[in-house]
Amino acid sequence: MSDEEHHFESKADAGASKTYPQQAGTIRKNGYLVIKGRPCKVVEVSTSKTGKHGHAKCHFVAIDIFTAKKLEDIVPSSHNCDVPHVTRTDYQLIDISEDGFVSLLTETGSTKDDLRLPTDENLLTQIKEGFDGGKDLVVTVMSAMGEEQICALKDIGPKN
Amino acid sequence: MQGEPSDLGHLQSIMRAIELACSSIQMNFNPSEAEATILSLSQTPHPYQACKFILEHSQVADARFHAVAAVRDAALREWSVLTSVDKRSLISFCLCYVMQHASLPEGYVQTKVSSVAAQLMKRGWLEFAAAEKEAFFVEVKQSIIGRHGVDVQISGINFLASLVSEFSPSTSTAIGLPREFHEQCRVSLELDYLKTFYSWAQEAALGVTNRIVESDSAVPEAKVCTAALCLMLQILNWDFQHYSSDGARSSINVFSVDIRYNGSSAIRSECILVQLGPSWRDILISSGHVGWLLSVYGALRLKFSSEGYWLDCPIAVSARKLIVQLCSLTGTIFPSDNHQMQEHHLVQLLSGIVQWIHPPDEISKAIECGRSESEMLDGCRALLAVATITSPFVFDGLLKSICHFGTISLLSALMSNILKSPMINNPEEETWSCVARDILLDTWTALLATAECSNGIAFLPSEGISAAASLFALIVESEVKAASTSAFNDDDGSDYFQASISGMDERLSSYGLIARASIEFSVPLLTRLLSERFAWLHQGRGTADPTATLEELYSLLLICGHVLADEGEGELPLVPEAIQTQFVDITEANKHPVVILSCSILYFAEKSVDPEIRASIFSPRLMEAVIWFLARWSCTYLLPPEDNRDSNNSLVQDTSQQFRKTICDFFGEHGQGKHALDAIVRISMAALISYPGEKDLQELICRQLLRGLVRRKDICVHLLVLDSWHNLANSFANDRTFFSLNAALQRSLAQTLVLQASGMKHFEASLYVRDLMSHTTAYLVELSGKNNLISVAQLPDTIMMVSCLMERLRGAASATEPRTQKAVYDLGISVMSPVLVLIEAYKHESAVVYLLVKFVAQWVDGQIIYLEAQETAVLVNFCMSLLKLYSSHNIGQISMSRSSTLINEAKAEKFKCLRALLQLLASLCSKDLVDFSSEPIESQGISIGQVVYVGLHIITPLVSMDSLKYPKLCHDYFSLLSHMLEVYPEMVAQLNAEAFVHIMATLDFGLHHQDIEIVDKCLRALKALASYHYKETIAGRLGLGLHAAGFKDSDGKFLEGIISRFLFSLLQLLLFEDYSPDLVSAAADALLPLILCEQGLYQQLGNELIERQTDPEHKSRLANALHALVSSNRLSSTLDRINYQRFRKNLLGFLIEVRGFLRKA
Repeated sequence: MSDEEHHFESKADAGASKTYPQQAGTIRKNGYLVIKGRPCKVVEVSTSKTGKHGHAKCHFVAIDIFTAKKLEDIVPSSHNCDVPHVTRTDYQLIDISEDGFVSLLTETGSTKDDLRLPTDENLLTQIKEGFDGGKDLVVTVMSAMGEEQICALKDIGPKN
Repeated sequence: MQGEPSDLGHLQSIMRAIELACSSIQMNFNPSEAEATILSLSQTPHPYQACKFILEHSQVADARFHAVAAVRDAALREWSVLTSVDKRSLISFCLCYVMQHASLPEGYVQTKVSSVAAQLMKRGWLEFAAAEKEAFFVEVKQSIIGRHGVDVQISGINFLASLVSEFSPSTSTAIGLPREFHEQCRVSLELDYLKTFYSWAQEAALGVTNRIVESDSAVPEAKVCTAALCLMLQILNWDFQHYSSDGARSSINVFSVDIRYNGSSAIRSECILVQLGPSWRDILISSGHVGWLLSVYGALRLKFSSEGYWLDCPIAVSARKLIVQLCSLTGTIFPSDNHQMQEHHLVQLLSGIVQWIHPPDEISKAIECGRSESEMLDGCRALLAVATITSPFVFDGLLKSICHFGTISLLSALMSNILKSPMINNPEEETWSCVARDILLDTWTALLATAECSNGIAFLPSEGISAAASLFALIVESEVKAASTSAFNDDDGSDYFQASISGMDERLSSYGLIARASIEFSVPLLTRLLSERFAWLHQGRGTADPTATLEELYSLLLICGHVLADEGEGELPLVPEAIQTQFVDITEANKHPVVILSCSILYFAEKSVDPEIRASIFSPRLMEAVIWFLARWSCTYLLPPEDNRDSNNSLVQDTSQQFRKTICDFFGEHGQGKHALDAIVRISMAALISYPGEKDLQELICRQLLRGLVRRKDICVHLLVLDSWHNLANSFANDRTFFSLNAALQRSLAQTLVLQASGMKHFEASLYVRDLMSHTTAYLVELSGKNNLISVAQLPDTIMMVSCLMERLRGAASATEPRTQKAVYDLGISVMSPVLVLIEAYKHESAVVYLLVKFVAQWVDGQIIYLEAQETAVLVNFCMSLLKLYSSHNIGQISMSRSSTLINEAKAEKFKCLRALLQLLASLCSKDLVDFSSEPIESQGISIGQVVYVGLHIITPLVSMDSLKYPKLCHDYFSLLSHMLEVYPEMVAQLNAEAFVHIMATLDFGLHHQDIEIVDKCLRALKALASYHYKETIAGRLGLGLHAAGFKDSDGKFLEGIISRFLFSLLQLLLFEDYSPDLVSAAADALLPLILCEQGLYQQLGNELIERQTDPEHKSRLANALHALVSSNRLSSTLDRINYQRFRKNLLGFLIEVRGFLRKA
């Protein structure tokens, strides 16, 4: 997908870079982190030392926000880690097409048709049932490092 | 016994059925059916004959086991309908069975039968006449003294053992009777029987002694002796209350037990004092019991090499345990003859015990060669017991009367020996030497802890002091050695600073006591060891690997901290007594050993400010120890408050006054105090910014050292004028460097810095807080004003920045004090609209939303009680818009992810937010309780009740049953709910139907919760609702109106009124479900108004219940009980205190009467 579509008019300092360096020691549980090139959410942080009088290092356990794979990393806590730029945008759900794509309405009034439905059976039924039930649905699309995925669903009342 | 099937064939068929069930359970074949068969035996009425038949005839041990269990269950259940002949015959049947089948191999059946006999005996204890009990015990005594052979003897003793344990409250079995019953049994046994039992056990043991001593190999009599010793030990372990409560303690002075109880929380090993009265004197002291016991054990010791006996054989173990237990004998059993008898008793015991531990070196060598260590450990335990009941002088003198050395010398020799053991510093396993070291340390603690209370009177004999000194030298040597050898162990992760501190803490504080006992030696020793190592580090800088030295310093600093100062635990710790009373003759402060030691550490620590030295010497771990030491030291010594007040009223303080003057002057306001404070601040500042990512170190600085400094107002005053402190505050406010600290630590730092304002004047304090936070507020205002906020906000660095700033604000808000209240209020006002904008911008980032909400909750909590009506209005409006905004973002939203972990994390985050919102509402509520404003807030047209209801209205849809599974959230929610319903029930009537139904559904959920507190809150809420409705309707008003009457919902379905609904569900709960008995009174309070509101429904429910009963007897009982519930005890239809009390009684009686058969049916 192209970045322009879901950003607002001015993107003067809306980071062109996909990641941002942050000291490992300041990354908390539930923060984001890039491990092996994948954007992840940290679910566990622990610290240890290299030898008794050495420096501290952080041990991260994190989950890939798109694939749900578990990844781990050890970084000296004074070093910098890459933190991904994760954005979330709301769209109104207009249609679900036969070939597995969704059609979304952007704030500017145009449509966005390049997003696939989730492959996960569970999520798929949640969306489909809601849509078929005639509800007005707003989907939240999470994007990071060039990937995007539907991450939340909100029911804003029955369709008129 | 009526109603029993008596023909033989029937009995045999039951027996076969039970046997079959037992074997099918064992083979795991259809176990549930087998269990049901066995259960049915105990549930049939009067199964005794069948059970007896099985016990006597069955060949299957398991069947016999279950039969006797059935006897117990049935008898306890039917106790009130059994005749007294039946009861006694059941007990004597069990007793006879135990005696007759004493030699059977299945021990567990015997044990079970004898414990059932004990339980039944206890059940009837208060109804049986003394003669009836005598009759049982005559038989038991006959068997114990050996009339019927060895096996019967053991059975008899074991029966007494189960009787004693059944009567002891901590080990008794539940038999469904109130605590008073157990208590009466306990007292009766303690006063009338325990001593007799003890003497029987003595008799039994004496009777077999000769056989054991004379025979060369193990004889069956040894088992009798073991059982008897165990019974004696069990009796001595009894929690004697009669003797300890009747003034026994008042006669003890030198053997000061009271002081020990209060002053020695440090004693860890279990050492139970045996407090007995004079009546025990003849069997324990004058009868030569101790002499006999020691001689038996002495004889056994000679046999250890021969067959059948060894150090850990049961008889030896129990003999040793009893000897150790006798060492802790105290109380009025000893006459008030200046403790001669007690000393004699202890000397006699020690003369036997000394062989176990002396000479220490030979014994530890033998243990290293493979001998069992248990005897030596028991010897140490005996020393601990003796130390617990004697003063150091008496303790030392005990051995002198029989040997050429004192007990303290022996203790110190033992300890030195163990410290030298090569095994001692093996952290992987708990070796015997570690156990021995811990017991001996406890012994030292027991001896020295009195020193802390004895107000500086010389408490140790002079040899004791030198023994302590040499011991401390050894301890330090051993610790330092351990440190240097472990310095290169890379036991990754397991050795956190905090964990190791608290793990070592107890040991170190014992070391501290020993060091203080010989303070003249220990402080100079520490100074010398430290300065040696400081010198080594400086010499070897850049060339040699300092790791070993660093680790040695680390451990020395910890020891110094424990020797010099106590843990304050939130209070202001005083200079330890021992340090106060020693060194009185030193008047020149800079020659005072404590000053020298403190200064040398401070001087060393100050070097860490130099970047070059820091890089080469101060490893993060060493720095942690330095900071820890400074924090502990500064609480006690730095700028001590000048309390001239108590110098007049206490003459005892004479000596310490001298000391105080010396050291106060030195580290006081006019001495080196300010310089030291400045140094500490500079060290902290440097360490905070130059150890990036060292969380543990940073946490120590923020949470302990700096926080400790601002806790004292007089130090705050001095901080105010320090350039270094201004520097710290300034860089925190304006530099980016501090953003590399963990956000939670930034919060703590902000809190500390704001707290420091307590040293300023009002106006200054406001300015100071504003300056400190001005950049923060400015950034937030600017950010929230950006027109591309949505995209900027999601950038990682913005998120980090906002998180840090919100944490800082929250820290500042949590430090609100009257002096800074206005400034913090302005602070909050200035970020109010940015907060709302940010909540909108971060609606998908619940971690940030949480921080925002948490700040608001904290801010409101600190402010609300001070605010004037006008300000309150502003704040309330703000909170309402926040709640609405939050709710509009979150209602109906479902997170989706492939990872269940991520979904759960997301949920947990949302619940944290929700909980913060509930806390916000709760703090709003507090305005109605405490209010310092000059005019009532109603003048601005605000009603807190109204406001909180609107808030609750907004939030409740977000509180799902799912979320109430989070215990903390659940707790907060129901606290708020019950508070609201109790204080503002009239508001409920105004809620719309949907919200009302939701709240009631949660209430229903809470009623069935497992947590008693939550059920209690729900019951209180119900009581409030129902009594409000009742009172209103009586007065002819509407009350809860439609909510109570019931109404049709939007789908046309009729919803029952809540009063009738809860009347039904509460009765259902009380009669048929499981709940804690503690809840009955709360339930009664809720039930009474419910019944009064809906009397008709109550009658109807009662009738239905009666109709359902099949048994006519039950029918009439239930009808009577239901009637009595609402009519007995002169119950009226008012809701006053007396009436509530009467109804509580009625309900309790009602439940006792009917719950049993209703639940069974």
